Amino acid sequence: MILVSTIRVLKFVMQDFFRNFWLSLVTVTILILSLFSINFMIVVGVISNTAIASVENKIDLSLYLQTDANESNVATLKSELENVPEVASVTYISKSQALESFQNKHQDDRSIQDALREVGGNPLSASLVVKAHTLPEYNTIINKLDTFSQYPIIESKNFDDHKTLLTTMNNITDKTKKVGIMVSLIFVAVTILVVFNAVRIAIYTHQKEIRIMKLVGASNWFIRAPFLVEGVLYSLVGVIAIIIIFYPFLQLLQPYLSTFFNVNELNLLSYFNHNFLFIFGWQFLAVGVINMVASLVAVGKYLKV
Amino acid sequence: MIIFENVTKIYPPNVKALDGLTLKIKPGEFVSVVGQSGTGKTTMVKALIGEERVTGGVIKIGDWDITRIKQREIPYLRRQIGVVFQDFKLLPNKTLFENVAFAMQVCGHLSSRINRVVPQTLKLVGLEKKMHRLPQEVSGGEQQRVVIARSLVHHPKILLADEPTGNLDSINATDIINLLERINKFGTTIILVTHNKEIVNSLRKRVITIDGGRVISDQKIGKYIL
Repeated sequence: MILVSTIRVLKFVMQDFFRNFWLSLVTVTILILSLFSINFMIVVGVISNTAIASVENKIDLSLYLQTDANESNVATLKSELENVPEVASVTYISKSQALESFQNKHQDDRSIQDALREVGGNPLSASLVVKAHTLPEYNTIINKLDTFSQYPIIESKNFDDHKTLLTTMNNITDKTKKVGIMVSLIFVAVTILVVFNAVRIAIYTHQKEIRIMKLVGASNWFIRAPFLVEGVLYSLVGVIAIIIIFYPFLQLLQPYLSTFFNVNELNLLSYFNHNFLFIFGWQFLAVGVINMVASLVAVGKYLKV
Repeated sequence: MIIFENVTKIYPPNVKALDGLTLKIKPGEFVSVVGQSGTGKTTMVKALIGEERVTGGVIKIGDWDITRIKQREIPYLRRQIGVVFQDFKLLPNKTLFENVAFAMQVCGHLSSRINRVVPQTLKLVGLEKKMHRLPQEVSGGEQQRVVIARSLVHHPKILLADEPTGNLDSINATDIINLLERINKFGTTIILVTHNKEIVNSLRKRVITIDGGRVISDQKIGKYIL
């Protein structure tokens, strides 16, 4: 009896899906558009996170050392800095490396090249370049650097500019994340309402059938079951369709992103490949649950006969 | 035995559809229930199939008190009462065969049984040659015969026909009544709710007249008196 009913429910679902093909197509299209919006939000999130990470990578702290600082003192300072938990790396830039880098950077600027020749020798200091793990940790490192004052080899401690820059950067990233979460929540809410309504409309067209099923003695679960299974079928078809549509879209988008944002480490395809099950699995589950809840609510309305 | 005992139904705010309705119908009877529009005939039908809960009184079918019926028992009640409506209530996307089979499918009957019973029932109502047509491809009278066939597949003890001839011309109406009489001869109780005077008078069977939600006349071989 249960097996017969299950097979019959599946048969009803397939019959309904294809006999009401245009209605099924419209419902699935709404699902696809909603999923496209959600995936587009994911893309925007990945881009903004990568852009922020890329700016974070470019920030560092340079400690300029006195010209007569001896190597053992520099090595001690470097190792002490490396022991600070917030410090990710410390790189020593020697006087000659600093000069070479400076000359390379300004090779087309004749006045600077002339000035260097005029001064003679190497006027630049050696430095230690400190990098933190995350942006907010720079503030902690800057505060800790004050306790390193026993090392007289640090010539310049021009951290104030960094502090302002870091505070501004922290504020921007913080606000970007908050706005991102807010926009995503609004988007998810709109998507839920759109999908919910689409399912309700699809079931509205079946109200006569539901009433007849009730009158000929069908149990409530026998009436509900095809709509629940159909909800799962819609989400399965919708998610498969969005995978087929979204990957070519990502391939089209990738070259423009690399050029526009000048962020080489941003690879959307590999991000989606790496998180495939998480992204599309959750979308299937979420849409399936929304469809099923919408079906239960909408069918329930017509079961009261 | 169907028993209505002092049944009342009040719709909000204070509209009395049934007002102390009391009657008994014996198994195998053919009863016409007549009355003008708004006298409570349809409410009586709806109460009998569990579509409306009554405000007071008792309705019994055999020993089954259906005024206290649980929601989950309603499908089982409806499988024992065949219902025929004025507006047919057929599924337009299904063939005549599928419409009749549908009533058995929703109750979990095996396909082999459905394939045997449905053609037999359609033959009984004279539609075996049109069973693969859609409802809109047959006449109103034939659609009503499909509805009767659908209500018969559960072998119900009671057949409720609420204005079954309301949308039909006189020839088709007579056909439907003849069919109901034939079904009655097999032992099924028929409750025919109608306000068609000619049909009631030609039947020469029991007539219950309802007015204001209560029985005002109950004649063994009755006539339409309103």
